[in-house]
Amino acid sequence: MHADRTNRTMLILFALFLITVGVIGALTGFGAFGAAAEHSRLFANPVGVYVGSNGAWLWFVIAAAAALVALLALRWLTVLLFSTDRAGDIRITGDRSAGRTTLIAGALTQAVCEEIETYPGVHSARARLIGDASSPDLVIETTLEQTADLAALRRRIETNAVAHTRQALDNPNLPVTLDLTVTDRQGRRAS
Amino acid sequence: MRLINRLFASLLSMALIAAGVLVVIEVIADRVFDKSALIHWRTLYDWADRTSWLQGSVRVGCIVIAVLGVVLLLAELRRSKPKRLPIASDLTDAAYTRRGIAATIRSAVNDVDGINHTDVTVKRRKVKVAATTAGRQPYTAQSLREPATGAARQRLDTLELSPAPRLSVRVTTRSR
Repeated sequence: MHADRTNRTMLILFALFLITVGVIGALTGFGAFGAAAEHSRLFANPVGVYVGSNGAWLWFVIAAAAALVALLALRWLTVLLFSTDRAGDIRITGDRSAGRTTLIAGALTQAVCEEIETYPGVHSARARLIGDASSPDLVIETTLEQTADLAALRRRIETNAVAHTRQALDNPNLPVTLDLTVTDRQGRRAS
Repeated sequence: MRLINRLFASLLSMALIAAGVLVVIEVIADRVFDKSALIHWRTLYDWADRTSWLQGSVRVGCIVIAVLGVVLLLAELRRSKPKRLPIASDLTDAAYTRRGIAATIRSAVNDVDGINHTDVTVKRRKVKVAATTAGRQPYTAQSLREPATGAARQRLDTLELSPAPRLSVRVTTRSR
């Protein structure tokens, strides 16, 4: 995940901030707001005057706001550097009279990959579970060999490996993203 | 773009953290010890107090800031090339990667006798194939246009992309 949507939103907001500051400053400098504004000093404006006359309490408010911004930015940076979108282990729902069943996410994705890699024409497969463990999404990235019947192979993955995964999770509506790529390299399997 | 965004976002978040901490430190230093701690604000204040908006450096600075903002905004709003093109499937959200589509079409066109080299560009709605022939008889660009287009079309159809992108094939003779 790496907060991609947040990154884009924050960078757009930052760009708008730069544009606003730059355009207002340039317009003032070129006399768009009148000769008085053009010749005035940088701090000689209503904001500067207000800060100057209310500094006794206003700087504490500014410091508190700055601390809040720093904390939010720290959280953003932490998410950016250390977060992952991987789902945790999955608790299988249903009859619990005989105990609780937890499916290790890594075991499931490994089983999916191993099954897909047995199909002739598949060069390699990778899978991961993302999102919340209670309603995960399965992402499969498969590299197919150039010489394979690509459409048939894709259908086989969907009707076998994906179907088996949905069955294992007892979730026929498990969202699955299947990314296919093609390589001219030969598979690792001896067929 | 995502990686560049992550880099910019890291820099921006670090700048915000630094600025926030700096303001807190300076306010405390000013109110408690009546002096600046890390930055000499008085020098900056004095400069702003004697500088007008008319000054060239201020005008140039503002223009540079605005231009940087516009560049950043355009970069963020620009539609990037798709990483994946969807396949018509009811069972999954299936798609071929752009790289995969390019590789398989390139291979199909390269398999045509007489084609020496093929470049494939995959966009959201269009696949452009640029093939080069050796130019010796009977493998002229004109004679290979149809088989090259047929090979690319056939391979593209087998991918079952939805919506199917338009195909454009250009065959040229290699310059000597």
